[in-house]
Amino acid sequence: MTDPILAVSNLSVDLKREDRKRRIVDNVSFSLARGEVLGLVGEAGSGKSVLARALVRAIAPPLDIAGGKVVFEGRDILTLNPRGLASVRGNRIGFIGANPMGSLDPRLPIGNQIVEKLRCVQPGIGRTEAREKVLDLLGRVRIPSPSARFHEAPFQFSGGMMQRVMIVDALASDPSLVIADNITQPLDVTVAAQIIRLIDNLRQSLDTAFLFISSSLPVVAQIAERTLVMQRGRIVEEGRTADLATNPQQTYTQTLLSRIPPIWRDVTAPVATTGEPVLTVDNVLRTYLVRRRGSFNAYNEVKAVRDVSFTVKAGENFGIVGESGCGKSTLTRLLAWLEQPDGGRIAFLGKDLSHLSARSLTEMRKSFQLLLQDPYGSLPAGMPLRRMIEEPLLIHGIDRTEAARRAQEAMAEVGLDAELAERLPVGLSAGQRQRINIARALVLKPRLLILDETLSALDQVEQAELLDLFTRLQATHGFSYVFISHDLALVRRMCHRIAVMYLGRIVELADNTTLFEHPHHPYTRALLSAMPTLEDNRFPRPRYLLDGEPPSPIDLPLGCSFRSRCPRAERDCEKTDPPLLSLAGDNYAACLHRHMAPHEEEVANVE
Amino acid sequence: MFVLSFLLRRLLQGALIILLVTFIIFTLLRVVPGDPARLIVGGMAPDEVVAMKAKELGLDRPIPMQFVSYLGDIVTGDLGTSFVRPKSGASLGGASFDDATREERAKVLDLILGTLPMTLQLAAVALALALLVAVPLGTLGGLYPGRWPDKLALAIGSICVSTPNFWLGIVLTLLLSVKLKLLPAIGYRGFSYTILPAIVLAVEIVPFILRTLTVSVAQVMREDFIQLAPIRGLSRSRTILHHALGNSAIPLINLLGVQLGMLLGGVLVIEFIFDYPGLGLLTINAVLQRDFPLIQGIAIFISVMFVMINVLVDLIAMTIDPRLEY
Repeated sequence: MTDPILAVSNLSVDLKREDRKRRIVDNVSFSLARGEVLGLVGEAGSGKSVLARALVRAIAPPLDIAGGKVVFEGRDILTLNPRGLASVRGNRIGFIGANPMGSLDPRLPIGNQIVEKLRCVQPGIGRTEAREKVLDLLGRVRIPSPSARFHEAPFQFSGGMMQRVMIVDALASDPSLVIADNITQPLDVTVAAQIIRLIDNLRQSLDTAFLFISSSLPVVAQIAERTLVMQRGRIVEEGRTADLATNPQQTYTQTLLSRIPPIWRDVTAPVATTGEPVLTVDNVLRTYLVRRRGSFNAYNEVKAVRDVSFTVKAGENFGIVGESGCGKSTLTRLLAWLEQPDGGRIAFLGKDLSHLSARSLTEMRKSFQLLLQDPYGSLPAGMPLRRMIEEPLLIHGIDRTEAARRAQEAMAEVGLDAELAERLPVGLSAGQRQRINIARALVLKPRLLILDETLSALDQVEQAELLDLFTRLQATHGFSYVFISHDLALVRRMCHRIAVMYLGRIVELADNTTLFEHPHHPYTRALLSAMPTLEDNRFPRPRYLLDGEPPSPIDLPLGCSFRSRCPRAERDCEKTDPPLLSLAGDNYAACLHRHMAPHEEEVANVE
Repeated sequence: MFVLSFLLRRLLQGALIILLVTFIIFTLLRVVPGDPARLIVGGMAPDEVVAMKAKELGLDRPIPMQFVSYLGDIVTGDLGTSFVRPKSGASLGGASFDDATREERAKVLDLILGTLPMTLQLAAVALALALLVAVPLGTLGGLYPGRWPDKLALAIGSICVSTPNFWLGIVLTLLLSVKLKLLPAIGYRGFSYTILPAIVLAVEIVPFILRTLTVSVAQVMREDFIQLAPIRGLSRSRTILHHALGNSAIPLINLLGVQLGMLLGGVLVIEFIFDYPGLGLLTINAVLQRDFPLIQGIAIFISVMFVMINVLVDLIAMTIDPRLEY
C-alpha cells in the first residue's frame, strides 16, 4: 500500500479560558489513504469541527493546539512556515462547511469569488483558464446553466445549489483531500441525498480523498468506507462502516446505533384511531403578494398553501411532512389562527374560526396551542419560570392563586423540578426549555397541540424523552397532536396519519403503514428514498431519488405541479391538476396515475 | 430596467416629501408674526402703500391660494425674489420706501446658486478630511476589537463628539491663524480659506463614521465567509480589502446619506463663525432679515438636495450590495 496522504498522530487541542484548560480534541490519531472516503461521526460537542479545523491549522484563541502531528503529503502542517501553509490550505486541502449560504461574500458573483480563490492559491493560472475551469466544474456539479449562474451572488441560490457551489470552490484547485464538515446538515433530505450522490460520483473521477464529518451515522454510512467514532474529543472506535453499523464493539457506538429510530425493520406503526373530529380543515388557501422585481407596481402571487383539507380526530397524532418551501410554516400559522386563510375554512370542535367573535375566539384559543421550534427565542429571558407558566392563565383571566397552583401542577407534570420555579431560564438546556413551553400550553387544558418542528432543535436523547412525555400527556388528557416536521423518522414513530406536502399542496394523505410501506405518490417515494438509513431502503435511490429542486411557487407548472420532476409524468398530467383522489382505506393521493412502486410491481408481475 | 423603476418610485416619493416640506414651511412662515409687505416697503411707509404692495404681491389672498400660486412658480423654476437683497449683493434694507435701488431685488434662485458652490466645496473638503482620518482608524478598530486601535478609535470619537464646534472654531482660529499664521480664517479669498472651517466640520463628522465603521467591520469579521477565507486559501490582506471592507461600507454609506444632510445644518454655525460666504451664512442672514422668499427657497432647495442625496446613496449601496435590490 502507498503512503497515506494524511497521517494524524496524537493531535490534541485545548480550550484555554483564563487559567482553566479543557481538552477538546484528545490525542487523536488516524490516517487517510489517497482517494479514500473516511467518515467521522460524533454528537454535537464531541470536537469534530475543531478537529476538522485543526487539520488545516485554522485554530485561533481561545483554542490552542496542544500537541501532535498532522502529516499531509509528507509535511507536518502544524510546523509549516506561513508560505508552506499557504501552499496547502485551499490548494491541496479543500474545505466545505455546514453553512453554504454564509460561506462566500454575499455581495459578489460566486464565479468571480471561486476564480479569485483559485488564482490566490495557484498564481500561475491565467484569468481565462481559471474561469473555464470553474465553469466546467459548475457544470459537473450539475448546476443548471452554469455560465449564467457564474455571475449570480450567493443570495440568488438555494441552500442546496450553494452547497454545490462550495463543492466547486473546494475542488477548483484539484486538491488531494477535501474536508467536508457536516455539509448536509442544513439541507432538506432529498437535496442532501443529491449532494451525497454527487460527491460519490465526483470522487470516482477525481481521485480525491474526503474526510466526511457528520453527527449522524446513517449519513456517513452512505458514502464512507471507513468511519471514526468520536466521543468527548477521543476516537473511541474505528473500522469499516458496514462493520460498525452491524457489529459495533464499543458501548458508545452501540448507544449511538440504538438511538437511530427504525423505519422499516421491526416497526410497530401507530394504528389510526377513531374519534370525533377536533380540527377540520377544508380547502384552505393562502396566497402572498410579492412585488415583482424591476417593476413599478406589479405583484407576483406566491401560492403558499393551496387547497388543503384534512381532519384531526380526538386523541390522534397527525403528521405534516415536506421540504422547505412546501408551505408547512404557512399552514402552521393558519392552523394556529395567527393568519387567516384567503379561502376555505378551518373549524375547531365544529366551529368555524372565522365566524367567531373576538371574545369567543380568545376563549377558543385556549383549546389549541402552538409549540415552536426555537427553545431559546420563544421564552422571555428575564422572567422567572413560574411567572412564565402562569402568564397564559392570567391572560385568560384566572386569578393569581389558582394560576400559581395550576402552574405548579403543570411543572410537575412535564418533569420540571419545583426548585426551578423562581429561576430565570438562563442556563437551562434546550430540552428543559421546551418543557417550559409545553407547561405553558398545558396549563390552559388544550385539546390540540400544534408542534411546529418542536423537537428538531433537540438531540436524540432529549427528543426521545419529550416524545415519551407527549405520549404520557396524551394518555392522561386525550390530546390530539399535529406534528409538523421534516423528520420522517419522528413522524414514523409518532403519527397515526400523515400528510405529505409539495408546493403548498397535500400530495398524499395516508395512515402510517401505508405511507411508509406502500406510498402511492412518486414524491412520497422520493422522500423515503432520500432518508439516510442503516437499514436497506425499501425505495432504492437510483430508482426513486429526484433530481433538481422544486419549481418556484410563483410560476407553478400547469397541470400537476409535480409533473416537472415526476419520473412517470404522462400527457394528461400537463392538463389536469389532480385533487386528492381517494384510495383504499381512508387514504388519498393526488396523482392521476396511481401506480404501485415500480419494484413492487415487478414482484407482483412475477407472482 | 430595475434602476429605472427604482428611480421612478423613489423620485415620486421624494416629490411627495418635498411638497409636504414646502407646505409646512410656507404655512409656518405665514402664521408667525411680522408683515412681509411692511418689511418690503419699509417701516416708514404709509399704510396704503403697504396694502398696495400686499395686493401687488398677492399677500392679501388666503394662504391656500398663495400656496398654490407659489407652487406654480416653483415648478417653473421661479423661487421668487428676495424681499431685502438687491441684485448688487449688498444686503441692507433701508427704512425709506422710495429708495431708487429697491426695485432691483435679487432672484432667490440666483442667490442660492451663487452661494451653493462655496458650501459644496466646504462640505466636500470636510468629508474628505473626515474619511481620511476615520476610515483607516475605524477599520483598524474593527479588526482588533478590545485592543489598542479599538480603544484609540473610541477615545478619538468621544473627544470629537464632545467638542463644541463653535468653541473649536474659535480656538483653532486663535491657534492656527492668529498665533501661527498658517491659515486664513475669516471671509473667503481663495481655497485656503476653506481649510479651517472644513477641519472644524470634519471633527463633527469623524465620530459617527468612526463608530459605525468600527462596529460594522467588527461584525463582518465575525461572519462565516471571513472566518472561512483563510481556510479557502485567501490571504488576510485580500480578505480584508476585498471582502470585509466592501461589506462594512454599506452601513457607512447609508450613514453618510444622513450625515450629508446634517452637514448642511452644521454648516450654518460654522459658516457664521468663519464668515464663510456659503449657503449657511445666507440662511442665517435671511432669517435675521425676515426674508421670507429666501428662507422658503433655501428650505425647499435643501429638502430637494436631501431627497436626491438619499436616492443617490441607495443607488450606490445597491451597486455595492446587489441584495439590496430586493
